[in-house]
Amino acid sequence: MESASVPGDGVGGDRSRPGVEDKGLKKNAIGFVSSVVIGVASTAPGYSLAATLGFVALAVGFQAPAVLLISFVPMFLVAGGYYYMNKADPDCGTSFSWVTKAMGPQLGWIAGWTIVVADIIVMANLAQIAGLYTFELFSWTAAAESTAAVTAVGVIWIVIMTTIVVIGIELSARTQVGLLAAEVVTLALFAIVALIKVYSGSGGAHAIHPSLSWINPFELGASEISAGMLLAVFIYWGWDTTATVNEETEDPGEAPGRATVISTLILLGIYIVVAFAAQSYDGIQGLTAEPEDVLSHLGTEVFGSPLDKILIIAVLTSAAASTQTTILPTARTTLSMARANAMPKSLGKVHPRFLTPHVSTILMGTLSVIWYVALTLVSEDILFDSLAALGLMIAFYIGLTGFACTIYYRRELLHSIKNFFFIGVGPSFGGAILFYLLIKNAIELSDPANSESGNSWFGIGPPLVIAVFFLILGVLLMFVQWSKFPEFFRRKPEVVPAGFLEGEAPAPGPTGVAD
Amino acid sequence: MGLIVVGHDGSASGDAALDRALEIAAGLGDQVTVVFGYAPPGLWGGEIAEHEEAISEYGEKVVAAAKEHASGHGVEVETQLVPKKASEALLAVAEERDARMIVVGSYGDPPLKGAILGSTPNKLLHLSDRPVLVVPGSRP
Repeated sequence: MESASVPGDGVGGDRSRPGVEDKGLKKNAIGFVSSVVIGVASTAPGYSLAATLGFVALAVGFQAPAVLLISFVPMFLVAGGYYYMNKADPDCGTSFSWVTKAMGPQLGWIAGWTIVVADIIVMANLAQIAGLYTFELFSWTAAAESTAAVTAVGVIWIVIMTTIVVIGIELSARTQVGLLAAEVVTLALFAIVALIKVYSGSGGAHAIHPSLSWINPFELGASEISAGMLLAVFIYWGWDTTATVNEETEDPGEAPGRATVISTLILLGIYIVVAFAAQSYDGIQGLTAEPEDVLSHLGTEVFGSPLDKILIIAVLTSAAASTQTTILPTARTTLSMARANAMPKSLGKVHPRFLTPHVSTILMGTLSVIWYVALTLVSEDILFDSLAALGLMIAFYIGLTGFACTIYYRRELLHSIKNFFFIGVGPSFGGAILFYLLIKNAIELSDPANSESGNSWFGIGPPLVIAVFFLILGVLLMFVQWSKFPEFFRRKPEVVPAGFLEGEAPAPGPTGVAD
Repeated sequence: MGLIVVGHDGSASGDAALDRALEIAAGLGDQVTVVFGYAPPGLWGGEIAEHEEAISEYGEKVVAAAKEHASGHGVEVETQLVPKKASEALLAVAEERDARMIVVGSYGDPPLKGAILGSTPNKLLHLSDRPVLVVPGSRP
């Protein structure tokens, strides 16, 4: 039988032969609008603001917009690293395989582990917001104030989200565009109405006219910068994926750069405008009265009933939409690690009907529930601390990815000025900023007085305890796996093949397959 | 000589569809192409290639088992892995090869469950411009 070809859907010709697996992945052409949407939606602006803005205001007062602005710098620099690593190790797309390639399997393992842990923690945070806002949607204040009720609904949310990811229900690109547009319009409306009220004198009791100095990073103290930035890194988490979908866009020459720039501007715009509006509406008091719940609190005041519900719906859909862009990719990280023999084989299974990494996903959902319930039992004020711990982890693995890029391409750096800055200086400088934040915060958090909840675990701040605990647990688990399946851990760091960037050498093989 | 395209996902209903397709093909003197579509759910995000590879490895097992299952019927059987969603893969192969018909198994899901989980037979019935035969699988 001669080979049969199947018509592609836009990117290239035939890519299928009988009984032979196809390695080409780029058949799902992503349009320009879709790639902007992916960039913005996977960051989940509504939910990120709801979860973070209050805590940033607690940390830095009126300089929150400045923090949001400068936090973007390291993320932007490292995104260049994502772009180049994705070029060399296409589609495999995350820190586990890249760090393994550039810096060896041990660091790569820890990077993958960090992603998984960060995801488990963010699921708990997501569940908390989703639980709260579910009650807010129905104006059930008594339930919204009950920790038990919010936790119960939060757990139900985790179960629903995990199920959705396991059975592979996904929003079509068009639905995604619609939802995101509604979210952005709602946030913009919120900002406009809030500012109109402020200027017409009908804002909150602590209303204050916006001042350009809010966005001036030079008015920040050094410790404010590091604490604020570590929180704000979280709101840009997910944006980095724009750099990795770029290659799949329809017009690879022009569209990717533009899509990244535009999604960047949209995100920055949303964050800064909403932050300005929110804090001028009722001052810092309005943001910090219920820091875990900023937007529902302010939404009620700004819009009045029943219009305030649209803001709550926007946050809820934002949280729901981010599940597909957070949980599934992370389950793929464990899948990839399992296939490389870096984690137990069963995590590499795909479900026969739904074709999703169901074992990985369900395990992660289960661990999230355990983590979430345990945290709630320990302390009700732990949300901020786990968010700060999350910041430490995100800074760690994204920073590491920045270094990995420079190390992997180290022999190419001097070939052109562009290489030197975009592959060498940029990602490493971004990584260095993130590591600086990480270390500075770790030192400060070693004194429990500096943790926002004021709790003290073993004499140090809870965020640091959480982060260090998971790091140690990760190292232990790595050694367990190492002793069972040593071959993955024998891999040597590699460099990019000479001439790859000039198109004279093929891309290196995937990390998942031990060679 | 015509061609019958069979969708197989490794389930018992896939085997039921294959059996029925073999019967028909033997009667008509047609050949059979067993198709497994393996687009990973979730378009974007990290490690998508690893995910796709895991699915295609599973798909290879499925089509190999199907080929084994089909041997001895006196029908020429080929297999094909297509990196698309199941319904799209079947439609594309049927179109490309100008197939006589598409044969798939059904899970026997109630309509609402099928709508939530995504029912390949349902999609095919709406989208295909050639005959579609839906073979009920054994209910679990």
